[in-house]
Amino acid sequence: MKLRSFLLLAAISIALVHPGRVETARRPRYGGTLRVEIGAVVNSLDPVVAAANPEESAAKDQIGALLYDHRNPDGTFAGVAGSGAFRIAAWEPGKHVTLAASENNRGARAFVDSVEIQMGRQARDRLLDLEVGNTDFAQIPAEQARSASEHGVRVSASDPDELVAVVFVAGRPIAEDAHAREALARSIDRAAMVNFILQKEGQPAGGLLPQWSSGTAFLFSTAADAAGAKQLWSQISGSPAIVLGYDSGDSLEQTVAERIAVNARDAGISITAESVTSPGSAAPNCDARLMRVRMPSPHPREALVNVVAMLGPTAALDVAPLPAGVSSDQVFARERAIVGSYRVIPLVWLPQVYGLSARVRDWNAPAPGESWPFADVWLEQESQ
Amino acid sequence: MTFRSKLFWIFTLALLLSVGVIATGVTLVTRRAFEDLNRRHSEALVGQFEREFERRGQDVGHRVQGIADAEGTVRMAIELSRPKADVSVYVNDAHGVSQSFQLDFLDFVGSDGSIISSNEWPARFGYKMDWLTQPQDWAKLGTFLAKVDTQDGPALGLMAVSTVRVGDSNLYILGGERLGKDFLASLVLPAGMRALLYMNLDPSFQPANLVDDSGPVSQGERFAPFLDQERQQPGKQTFRIAWTPDPAGSEAFHALPLQGRQNDLLGVLLVGNSQQEVVELERRIRLLALAVAAMGLVVGLLLSWWGAARVTRPVRKLAAGAREVSEGNWSARVDVRGRHEIGQLALAFNKMTEQLSEQRERLLQAERVAAWREVARRLAHELKNPLFPLQTTVENLRRAKEQNFEQFEEVFRESTGILLAEIENLKTIVGRFSDFAKMPQPELGPVNLNDVVRGIVKLFEAQFGAVGRPPITSELHLEENLPVIQADATLLHRAIENLVLNAMDAMPAGGVLMLCTTREDGGVGLEVSDTGTGLTPEECERLFTPYYTTKQHGTGLGLAIVQSVVSDHGGRISVESETGVGTSFHIHLPAKPPRAPASVTSAVQNPVLPSSAAETRPGSESAPSEGA
Repeated sequence: MKLRSFLLLAAISIALVHPGRVETARRPRYGGTLRVEIGAVVNSLDPVVAAANPEESAAKDQIGALLYDHRNPDGTFAGVAGSGAFRIAAWEPGKHVTLAASENNRGARAFVDSVEIQMGRQARDRLLDLEVGNTDFAQIPAEQARSASEHGVRVSASDPDELVAVVFVAGRPIAEDAHAREALARSIDRAAMVNFILQKEGQPAGGLLPQWSSGTAFLFSTAADAAGAKQLWSQISGSPAIVLGYDSGDSLEQTVAERIAVNARDAGISITAESVTSPGSAAPNCDARLMRVRMPSPHPREALVNVVAMLGPTAALDVAPLPAGVSSDQVFARERAIVGSYRVIPLVWLPQVYGLSARVRDWNAPAPGESWPFADVWLEQESQ
Repeated sequence: MTFRSKLFWIFTLALLLSVGVIATGVTLVTRRAFEDLNRRHSEALVGQFEREFERRGQDVGHRVQGIADAEGTVRMAIELSRPKADVSVYVNDAHGVSQSFQLDFLDFVGSDGSIISSNEWPARFGYKMDWLTQPQDWAKLGTFLAKVDTQDGPALGLMAVSTVRVGDSNLYILGGERLGKDFLASLVLPAGMRALLYMNLDPSFQPANLVDDSGPVSQGERFAPFLDQERQQPGKQTFRIAWTPDPAGSEAFHALPLQGRQNDLLGVLLVGNSQQEVVELERRIRLLALAVAAMGLVVGLLLSWWGAARVTRPVRKLAAGAREVSEGNWSARVDVRGRHEIGQLALAFNKMTEQLSEQRERLLQAERVAAWREVARRLAHELKNPLFPLQTTVENLRRAKEQNFEQFEEVFRESTGILLAEIENLKTIVGRFSDFAKMPQPELGPVNLNDVVRGIVKLFEAQFGAVGRPPITSELHLEENLPVIQADATLLHRAIENLVLNAMDAMPAGGVLMLCTTREDGGVGLEVSDTGTGLTPEECERLFTPYYTTKQHGTGLGLAIVQSVVSDHGGRISVESETGVGTSFHIHLPAKPPRAPASVTSAVQNPVLPSSAAETRPGSESAPSEGA
């Protein structure tokens, strides 16, 4: 019996000591306030009120997941606010919200007593606050994860679930030239993007689904072929030029766009990168756009459907809908058809990167479609 | 134009030429001085640019070396020297370091020439800069101009290279400052000058590459020909651009080629010097010069006028004296003193007039004596002819009384008849002389010369065709609408009558007598021509001398009377004659005679007239004489 108990304890201990994690298996502790900083500005927590932008919508969804017990099939929250792990203790629209642990939660009570969420904090400020210990949790750009880690910030990254891709704008003359699209796709050095721009925090993307999700991503080439691109471009009559738009407020998109321009010019492709002030919309003079699509689900079909839904209107992807229950081969075929048209050029996969303070324990990065598990984390007692 | 005016205009012309030459000279000298000043300003600015360029270059070199010496860079070099070193971690370092060291361009380049991090083109990591890895003593090269590729396009940079060597591995630090409007703005320029920089970054001239301290230069295309020339043949050159039609709007430029480490033309510094201030200064100087010239001209003109008057005053006195002499005032003298040429001329003039006066007096005296002798000779001749018959008759009468008393009565009767006849002849002779001496003053009235001529011809018509003498044909050529003149019709009648009588006497074998009247300037003309024997030049010379005659029984007073009448009417008479052909007298009578016609007595004092065209004029003192 003793031996069995010992082996059980040993197995639990080994399970708790996750490779690469700094926290050690300890008994969870109740209490404390989890300080959270986000970049979005949420002006209303009412599910009925529509968010002003995708960033607010995502943040509102994360906060809602803490307040509500469960969701409806369409993804909206069911029940009343406070039925979840937390309830609203203080609310100042657009600035901060304080959530208190709900004692009447149907499940277990959250370990922390409250969660204070500061809104509208820029990435740089969030990183600084993480470094000096002014916050416990903040989402940080993937390209800064390495730098943050070198500066002593605990970094937690999810599996890569956000696709950065070039999407040709349907109807533009150059976008309708298959040679031009393929030439641009071949000229891009994705590995350099991951290594230098993302500081190795991500993966080169050849397909529309990540390797961890579909298992077929390796079948899509991510290698650059400048010579091939040059040859293809030379077959285009006239002297066309591609205007590549990127979100003016997204520094990662700007850097990626500029790198694409460098690669393309090296292959003899005339291209200019231009900032676009309205995210998600195609500027009138842009032939292609950099777009980011996050997976709503770890399942390949749902993820591909979402990609088509997000990028299709811009690229005018001519694909039939994927019915539920299709096989993985069919998903792959559809993915290959889209990628083979070069109307969408996958570039890199980005993970969701979180910075954590040293006292945060039992944090597990959520999978695509999941919410921040603040009810499951607990805070280490700070030494006096 | 008077001598004074000529002298004045000569002085004025000389003054104008002098002022023009001086003004032109001042303008040229001023312009050259300003151009020299402009050139020195531009050279000073070019020198300043070169010094600033050198100073900036040294500064850039120090900063790049400072980066190479920094601990972070050395650590980077050490890390990169290790096998399979991860260069991606340094991809963003150039930006921060360039900010710290205030460099516009900064590239960290690995041993293989790959860009590790770039400030001016962050996305260019991984690409090669092979020229950096070529064998080169970068420290010795120092700072150099280079064309730098940035994500916004090529730019011109003042660059320096430092290396950090760890083992066999090199880390190259390429840093520099952008040469552009900010650099130009840092230059201290004098007012009216500006510095432009053309960045020779494209194969052909691009106006956008020409900047001043505020950005691209407006109307940059105007520089194209000069910069194209500079691109083809780099070197210092000067040119001028007229921005406006007004010369003040032009700008002079000095071009300084900026070459890279391989002597390739990367840029051209243009030092512009606005000509507005210079042109306006030139204009002010020119206006001042014009004002001074104008004042000088006015003063010069006044002085010229005064000088000309002063110089010509003795000349004018001389001219006035000469005019007086020409008008008959032989006693005219010129009051000019001085030892100069004019003074000497005046002395000679005075001496000459004095001698002329004395000679004239002697001549007059001689002429008077000659005239009296002529009168005496004529009188003697005239009186001697009747006296001889008188003497003979009286002697015959006495002889008859003594010898033959019976016939005495008959002789007495005949002798007394002869005596009375000769006495009558003497009375006639004396009467003629008396008539000549008693020439009356003309009583003026309106006279139509044609009427006078017609009356005379009518009077002589009978004699022209008289029996026993060859016929004379008269021809009248009378000008219609001949103006009426103020004259004494009786005297005119008498004068013309004398001319007709002379003509008849000159044509003993008959001929043609022609009388013509003409309208002449200021009066009328009459020409009386015959086809007679004509006169010799010597006869013509003496024709109007009183008591001179070529006829056997003439008194020599006819033509003298004619001349006297013409002279009293303010007219003039001339004669033209050719021996064997005929003689022609021409009389000009003014429409209105002068108020004081010359007296008959004074005419006696000037008997001499030209030969073949002998002529007397109003006021002249020619003496009347009977025709040939």
